[in-house]
Amino acid sequence: MSKRKILYLVKYIAAIFVLVIFLFPIYWIFITAFKPEPEWFSMPPVFWPSKFTLANFLGTGSSTFGTTTTSIAGIVPFLRNSVVIATSTSLISTFIAALAAYSISRTKIGGTGLAGWFISMRLLPPIASAIPLYVIFSKIKLLNTWLALILPYLVPATALSIWLLISFFNEIPQEIEEAAYIDGASRMQSFIHVVLPLSAPGLAAAAILAFIQSWGEFLLALILTNNASAQTLPVYLGRYITGWRVAWGPLSAAGLVTMLPVIIFALIFQRYLIRGLTLGAVK
Amino acid sequence: MHRNQKKVALMLVLPAIVLFLVMTIYPFVYMIYTSLTNLDLSKVGTGQFIGLKNYIEIFQDPLARSSIGFTVMLVVIAVPVEILLGLGLSYLIRGLVGEKIMRSLLLIPMMVPAAVGGFGWKMLYNFMFGPINYFLSLFGLQPIAWFGQSNYAQLAILIIDIWQWTPFVFLIIYAALQALPKDIIDAGKVDGANGWRLFLHIELPLLRPILYVTLLLRVIDVLKTFDIIYMTTYGGPGSATSTWSFYAYKVGVSYGWNIGYGSALSVILLIVSILLVNTLMKLLNLGKELGLVKE
Repeated sequence: MSKRKILYLVKYIAAIFVLVIFLFPIYWIFITAFKPEPEWFSMPPVFWPSKFTLANFLGTGSSTFGTTTTSIAGIVPFLRNSVVIATSTSLISTFIAALAAYSISRTKIGGTGLAGWFISMRLLPPIASAIPLYVIFSKIKLLNTWLALILPYLVPATALSIWLLISFFNEIPQEIEEAAYIDGASRMQSFIHVVLPLSAPGLAAAAILAFIQSWGEFLLALILTNNASAQTLPVYLGRYITGWRVAWGPLSAAGLVTMLPVIIFALIFQRYLIRGLTLGAVK
Repeated sequence: MHRNQKKVALMLVLPAIVLFLVMTIYPFVYMIYTSLTNLDLSKVGTGQFIGLKNYIEIFQDPLARSSIGFTVMLVVIAVPVEILLGLGLSYLIRGLVGEKIMRSLLLIPMMVPAAVGGFGWKMLYNFMFGPINYFLSLFGLQPIAWFGQSNYAQLAILIIDIWQWTPFVFLIIYAALQALPKDIIDAGKVDGANGWRLFLHIELPLLRPILYVTLLLRVIDVLKTFDIIYMTTYGGPGSATSTWSFYAYKVGVSYGWNIGYGSALSVILLIVSILLVNTLMKLLNLGKELGLVKE
């Protein structure tokens, strides 16, 4: 074998090794979700379940603390909260962002200053809004409601979507719209019938990104909600994990439900996602 | 621009402006106010103005100092390691068969909600049944009480952060490498530069602007570290792995209800973040990027 081929092989093995390390924690949650009870806690650990069971999802796995509560039936209210909150945030933020981004793209209103201010809203530490919002929401009796999370989640979601959508709208040539005016369309009509259909992929990407961010958010959800009426899945996981010995199987099952939608969305929309998360550093 | 057109343009950005004013600027101002009071939600009759007392207390509070210290330690150690690993990974994977699939798979650690990732690592680090201690035993090493000793707990958190965010750095650098101007690279090769020399004298200088942006994005993010702490060590043992945000949460909301003091801690974190974000905004060259100014 030539020296070049050996080098390629070494690189390949190293790359696979790195991938295995980076994916191992996810793999571990995945297989633990399907392990029968005796294999949750064992030494040596079980790297491939002797049989794949659904008991952890059904809550029939064992009597260990947390088994039934973290079963699918037990997490339904939290799953519902997560779906409602992330979906609402996604739709509302995309709508607000589309209006603002369109305006900025076409008229340059506010210039670099306004756009920069919008985008910077995504980067500020959540603890800095969580503490004052806790006090404000407790005064106006908003704690433990869906709205208590939707409202703050709109901030980073809208900020990021504005960024993404400005560049999308920039790519739609203004001439197409002008042609619509000449045909007698109003500005509103041309926006709805010409610009929106053309920017559909961008809007979808913005909506998905907003969904993913809100779905996984932890700190605000932890502080602004404390029961099943509005608490989301990640916090639900957190509530059980602080215990001394937790039922790994059922908790992994709940963890799998929490991460699966995100992984699927992320893999489908990875191109836009990367562009959004890196603030345009990657096209 | 027509006056009417200007009015429409303003109307369209207004919802976003109102959202940010109500949901961030107002809470921030409110928090600056509470940081100057002794507000304690568990005690009636608190909320009096006490001036800068909370801020002075931060300097005398050993727990605040260690939490801020550990946060800085994360920044100083994790971020450079992530950048070096991300850089190495980009060069490792570039040009291999299946590199697109590898890139997609590497997305997963950063996309998974941090709470879920933290939970996964909590199982891996488990003293008696965790795979990590099992692997150590294969090499004849003693099991480590990962969350029981300060240095190991800190190391454990560093590893989780590096696991979660090296893929992010990798993604940026990997894409940037592909966007490097080919003619300059080729000219370098003609001049006899290859391997290390090509990297050091040609590619690295070209990558520098994007490395600065990545560095800042990471520093801004690491300063907020919270989820993985909550899910794994809960700040322990003692306060060895308590971070800035985690400590503010603990004293402000979790058991202390000391809103005034928690606010003061958050105000300082916010100021530091704003300074970094402003620097980042300048580096990003927004005006050009978004076509807001003529080039």
